[in-house]
Amino acid sequence: MSAHTWGSLDDGSARALLEEALAAATGEGVTFADVRLVEAEEERLYTDLRGKLDERREHNAGLGVRVLRDGVWGFASAPLDGPGGAGAVARRAVAVAGASAGTAPVVLAPREPTSGTWAVPVDVDPFAVSAGERHDLLQRVVKAASAPDLVRSVTAGLNAKRQHKHYADSEGSRQSQHLVESGAMLLAVAADERGAQRRSFPNSFHGNTAAAGWEYVLGLGLEDEATRVGEEAVALLGAPQAPGGTADVVIGPAQLALQIHESVGHALELDRILGDETNYAGRSWVQPEDIGTLRYGSPAMTIAADPTVPGTRGSFAFDDEGTPASRHLLIQDGILRDVLSSRDAVARHGGEAAGSWPGAARSDGWAWLPVCFATNVYLEPGEGSLDELLDRMGDGYYADDNRTWSIDDRRMAFQFGTEAAWEVKGGKRGRLLRGFSYGGLTPQFWGSLEAVAGPEEFKAYGMPCGKGEPKQWGFLGHGASPSLFRGLSTGVAR
Amino acid sequence: MTTSTFLDLAEPAVGADRAVAACAEAVRAARAAGADEAEAFLSGRAGGYTRFAVDRVHQPQDVHERQLMVRAVVDGRSARVATTDLAGAADAGRRATGRAAALARAAGPLPVLPAPASGHDVGVLAPGTLWDPATAAWGTPERVDAVRGLMRAAGAAGGEAFGMLGRAVTELAVVDHDGVERYAAATEAFGTFTVRIDDGTSHWVDLDRRLAVLDLDAVVARTVEEAGRARGRVDLADGTYDVVLGPLATGELLEGFHAYGFTGDAVADGVGAVARRRGERVAPETVDVADDPRAVRGLPFPFDPEGTDSVRVPLLDHGVVADAVTDRASAARAGLPATGHAHIAREETPHPAPASLTMAPGSASVDELVGGVERGVYVQRLWYLRVVDPAATTLTGGSRDACFLIEDGRLTTPVRPARFTESVFGVLSRVDALGADVLAQPLANVWNGAVSAPALRVRGFRFGSAGSAAATSQSPEEETA
Repeated sequence: MSAHTWGSLDDGSARALLEEALAAATGEGVTFADVRLVEAEEERLYTDLRGKLDERREHNAGLGVRVLRDGVWGFASAPLDGPGGAGAVARRAVAVAGASAGTAPVVLAPREPTSGTWAVPVDVDPFAVSAGERHDLLQRVVKAASAPDLVRSVTAGLNAKRQHKHYADSEGSRQSQHLVESGAMLLAVAADERGAQRRSFPNSFHGNTAAAGWEYVLGLGLEDEATRVGEEAVALLGAPQAPGGTADVVIGPAQLALQIHESVGHALELDRILGDETNYAGRSWVQPEDIGTLRYGSPAMTIAADPTVPGTRGSFAFDDEGTPASRHLLIQDGILRDVLSSRDAVARHGGEAAGSWPGAARSDGWAWLPVCFATNVYLEPGEGSLDELLDRMGDGYYADDNRTWSIDDRRMAFQFGTEAAWEVKGGKRGRLLRGFSYGGLTPQFWGSLEAVAGPEEFKAYGMPCGKGEPKQWGFLGHGASPSLFRGLSTGVAR
Repeated sequence: MTTSTFLDLAEPAVGADRAVAACAEAVRAARAAGADEAEAFLSGRAGGYTRFAVDRVHQPQDVHERQLMVRAVVDGRSARVATTDLAGAADAGRRATGRAAALARAAGPLPVLPAPASGHDVGVLAPGTLWDPATAAWGTPERVDAVRGLMRAAGAAGGEAFGMLGRAVTELAVVDHDGVERYAAATEAFGTFTVRIDDGTSHWVDLDRRLAVLDLDAVVARTVEEAGRARGRVDLADGTYDVVLGPLATGELLEGFHAYGFTGDAVADGVGAVARRRGERVAPETVDVADDPRAVRGLPFPFDPEGTDSVRVPLLDHGVVADAVTDRASAARAGLPATGHAHIAREETPHPAPASLTMAPGSASVDELVGGVERGVYVQRLWYLRVVDPAATTLTGGSRDACFLIEDGRLTTPVRPARFTESVFGVLSRVDALGADVLAQPLANVWNGAVSAPALRVRGFRFGSAGSAAATSQSPEEETA
């Protein structure tokens, strides 16, 4: 049985509910309506040093309806709840728009209707893996990570999610997407009288998740990595504090993925650039008139937004307002070329031809409005191996795996810390250091990018993100190869 | 789906009878399938949100959410199954039991921890604490009218406004195999906005069960005036300043308390402030921080998703490191009373968490706090705080919006956002006065989470970015923590 064959609604039943909602999303002044129906199921299994297991499987199914009435949006959502419910949600959306009338009108960028079906390729259905196999893997991981005496805490987890996402709008688009993702996390903490230190794998914030089946988890090499993670956590207890100052640094792919997320992805959301997110998430240091001309970084910096790349949490065929996915260069050779957009933001900005923008309207399931989130946004690889990059640097540091991060509301001034760093002398990795951190300003930081390692060193990461009011979650893909930055400001805190 | 519209008075997304019946059905089915123990909760939220920017209501939303989650235990192993489909409650109970049994077969039985003691006298919430008719009546038309007035006021001052006004009903039902059966529903009024005039900005946020507490007319006038005064910002030189943290900044400073060891898990693991520093004075007696789900200000709620009474837990009891919040599992493991702070976060393991952080106010006005500073900085809001070192309670972040130099006891030149890296205990140890007025704001990613706090005056607060001398110097406390 396919990993996509599950749930309470097949495509035909879902389509009927979409049509019911669209039929009800009408009335005087209604010029556009779209409906999203999402059925999702998520499974998580965690364990720790005490052998305690926590397993949960969460299922939800619901409908979100958005209408444009007299130029004003109205949105309503509710869980699926029997006959007639879809129409009721649509009527609430129409009523909300009517009650919100009288403010400046929303205009949508022109777009041809697009219909189709898309599914994430899956080799092994993660929901079909037995409790015994999952438990055995986690137990081996915990045992390996906790082998050193000073490891005091280990948490290991597995996660999987599957979704049926259906979309229809009043312009004729009809879309279905069947998504599956799999992931894992490991966190080890070593402690003694010198303090506590942590190491993690495959990423430090909620682990890593890919659009794939169980084969992704098996390919991580969790058990071997767990041994390293435990040993490095203990080694960090006795490692010297990383010094502050100015230094050349090769930043590893996990840390750089977060740097891209915070200082590129968020900064290039068009709704931020236009000011819509001023109150909470913030604005951007990028101005609307900068698009096409602004030097964002060095010529070594090329950033793509490409949801058509398979396997990431930012991979899809259509965004959550039905815009087909396509590859766009956001930054090319250091110059800002494009931004992540939603349909109404594009229209307000006014510069795009019909349907040609990097569609990035995304929502957290059925309950929330689509807003601009990053998609699959990554640094294009350069050439050569990590060792060659370290050799090119000569003296400096190699740092990876985020420990702490903070950036201002314009995505300009930031400070990041990593779990681990190594002194590099003469191109060779030497002493392990604790408490490495660096900071700077976005354009200066990216301007100091000298070289990016090749595609063989590239790693992709799936990340959760928060935005909007009320805050909703977005799930994104970012990736990078290790990259050399010259003259970074380092130090601040442990 | 509910058949009501936003035009009616707000009402729960599910309602008491249906919510309790679904939970009970799930528990019965779990027990019938062989669960040794079973419990279920249903959380629901019906929210209307009017989001606006400049001259548009750009995201008006009417969102109904609910989740029924059942936990079954077989031979000490537990599994949870959740659904939005209330007609599938029994199936959820059976599946939870089946999954718990599968884990028990795979991993072997686990000894059941003894039930924690309650150990607390629980007061009854005063009538009207949870439900405010005025909040329930604050529908979309009323919020849009308020937004129009706000946008007009900002425009009249040459500026723009951005933000959201919202109203919600939060409900929670809990049923367990031992006869616990609880339900409560509560209103919530929420407002937040930023006014921008040229480069000057000012921000406000507040929430409460009672709409009148928000006092929107006064807040709009004050925020527009502050944004005008905040024009012409200059960079803040790195260095150590006496600061007045506004109520929002103080609240944000408290948000990381869970990471410093004020949870039952941390106590059981022997790490963090309560495990290692309980009884130690870290701040003056006037600094009183608690998690108080029964405080009227903020978002009081009587019990948690495990059905345990949620009680006040002193965290810094008049400046002294005190107690930890617990859920049932961490209470049993740490040998502490259950305090009703169960929390199931997305993409995380269930764990206890503070959800109703409060700092007791003082008696000073903000003007009086500022009046006591010869040279310093007023900070309206903090932003993007991240814990750097939980043992040292060190975090990093930035200031934001209406921040000013203080010179000779008066707010003078507005300053741009500035980065800092500070120990929270260190900051609190240097508090010498507290404001009388309190603002409440949401706790991110925490169910029904809120933090409410007054303004503080702090003698010595370091601003500085990466690599700067000010930022890289470490306080004695950080060195020894």
